[in-house]
Amino acid sequence: MANTVHRRAFCLLASAICLAGAPVFETPALAQDNSIRLGIVAPMSGPNARYGAFSLRGAQLAAKDINAAGGIDGRKIQIFSADSQGTPVEGVSATRRLIDQDKVDFLIGDVSSSVTLAMQPVVEDAGVLLINAASSNPKITYAAGVGGFKWSFRNYPTDENRALIVAQYAAEKRGFTKFAVLSVDSDYGRSAIDFTKKYLPRFNGQILTEDYYKEGEVDFRSVLAKIRDSGAQAIIMYGLADTTPIVARQMTEVGLAGKVPLIGNGEFNTEKTIKSAPKALEGAVEAAAWLPAWDSPKSKGFVTRFTAEYREAPNNHAYVHWETVNLLGKAVEAAKSADRAKVRDALAKIKYDSAVGEVTFDDHNQAKLPMILLQIEDGKPVVKGAYSADIDYPR
Amino acid sequence: MLFQISEQVVNGIVTGAVYALVAVGMTMIFGVLRAINFAHGEYYMVGTFGAWVAIEYFDLPYPVAIVAGVIATAFVALVIGQFVMRRMVGAPAEAGVLATLGIALILQNTVILLFGGGYKFFEGGYIEPVTILGVSLAEQRLLIIAVAVLVFFGLELLVTYSRMGKAMRAVSQNVECCAVVGIDVRKVVVRTFVLGAALAGLSGVLTAPVNVSVYGGMGELITFKTLPIIIMGGLGNVRGTFFAAMILGIAESLVATYVGLQFRDTVGFATLMLVLMWRPHGLFSAQARY
Repeated sequence: MANTVHRRAFCLLASAICLAGAPVFETPALAQDNSIRLGIVAPMSGPNARYGAFSLRGAQLAAKDINAAGGIDGRKIQIFSADSQGTPVEGVSATRRLIDQDKVDFLIGDVSSSVTLAMQPVVEDAGVLLINAASSNPKITYAAGVGGFKWSFRNYPTDENRALIVAQYAAEKRGFTKFAVLSVDSDYGRSAIDFTKKYLPRFNGQILTEDYYKEGEVDFRSVLAKIRDSGAQAIIMYGLADTTPIVARQMTEVGLAGKVPLIGNGEFNTEKTIKSAPKALEGAVEAAAWLPAWDSPKSKGFVTRFTAEYREAPNNHAYVHWETVNLLGKAVEAAKSADRAKVRDALAKIKYDSAVGEVTFDDHNQAKLPMILLQIEDGKPVVKGAYSADIDYPR
Repeated sequence: MLFQISEQVVNGIVTGAVYALVAVGMTMIFGVLRAINFAHGEYYMVGTFGAWVAIEYFDLPYPVAIVAGVIATAFVALVIGQFVMRRMVGAPAEAGVLATLGIALILQNTVILLFGGGYKFFEGGYIEPVTILGVSLAEQRLLIIAVAVLVFFGLELLVTYSRMGKAMRAVSQNVECCAVVGIDVRKVVVRTFVLGAALAGLSGVLTAPVNVSVYGGMGELITFKTLPIIIMGGLGNVRGTFFAAMILGIAESLVATYVGLQFRDTVGFATLMLVLMWRPHGLFSAQARY
């Protein structure tokens, strides 16, 4: 008897769920036909969810403002979001879902380099235009444009550029020669270190210890004690924003704070991160594609607009996604069409005024962009300049 | 060199204390239910979130937040115990696996739905470093070790002398006989389950200040660290679990120092394989359960 009741309750519940869910499954193809269908692949859950949330908000803000101003030649931008969870497997299925079910013509994604690398062949097969806005692994555009993938573009500077200017600044301005490596174990973290190794000998630098942490790692005491005992002058870290406060706090614990600074990238400059361990982050050096303190009218305008909309200051990922949606808008405008191939050709020839300088794409579909170098001084990020480096494509 | 090693052993003991607190609940639940609780890390997460909510939304001081976190976990565990775990008595092993994996997903995603998937900052706790014999530690870590020792001492007393402890041991040995002599097996199961989950929650609240970040998926990693520990300790063996947790903590710490941080997570399962080859019933299984 108990069983029948359960089964009946289950059936009722299941049908209720189906009814409630029905409007959600309506095909989105019924929506306005001349809209620009843009998919955003980003980590909305998992250890990089913070990046994903900022990315989506940046993109949505740009779309909202473009649409409010009448769209692009009357075409509104319609955003579809899919969660990559920061892993290549989920990223690929998210990409397929956007292409097959939501019928997007354009894609922006992902934050994580490992995911972007996996997405490239998928968009190439589908003939959908992918503009990456936040992955820094050089391989992505080594393999794009004349390198192979015709549908992949990147509007973000690469790790090669970043590794060079960080190494140069650390050696020339801070006088460091002995380094410890503590990076995230991913395509981003490892390739940044590979390029650091390529350039360090130029500045007589040497690496004393080398460790990579897994996403979600919380215990750094052992490795930090080892770094302290090794006599390294700085820790080269290409890490994740969410891990930086953990590392910084444990640096204070093992007595590294104030003695050995972090250099590299991993959102060392946000107020929250600095507040978590002010002493450990003092003197940290970071190279980023953008930061809220960047002084240009367009950049300041974005910070004000974003803060007004979401009551939170934007981060780098919010900015690059906002800028990339605007860039796509300009490309559609220049192409005078939302046709994928025409927009792609327009993008290749575009001259776009971004908040950090003019954007043009080279024959590898890589945007020429500077890296901004900053240092934490008295608990505040101070911009030390913007540096560009030419990319040395492997032949 | 010797100092370096001893410092790393201390680091390992701190890590081990956290593992021990989580693992002991899981092993006790296995004892009475014969089922691995794959949702165990989620109670660790729920405890941390309970304390985080208490601090963030209600401005409560950290010691009160500890209590709030543990009570929140115990409450969630009681509901799940009444509705799900009770039914696992006498059910086939697959039922336990499916039920607990399902609960893990539900708890994780409920928290993500309520608070978002991003990392939260955990304010509070005693994070000032103190130096003892040259080793610098956050005060919070000393608290973790002290609590772990107290909890294990208390558990030993509980299972040896109290009525409930005796009932737990009885259930872990023979469910049918318990029913015959009038022990309410389901009640014992639910109680053990709530106790085990609350300990995981306690461990989460205590570790939060040093781990800083709080997020929905944080329990998963803990479950996978705990699994090798309870098998090494001999499933259902409280004392064995304590030593196995310490062994794993220290081994991880030494590997992170002398081999590389990236190999740290392999230690648990590598040790597990060795133990299973050499002593398939666990390192401390000569004794009866509990």
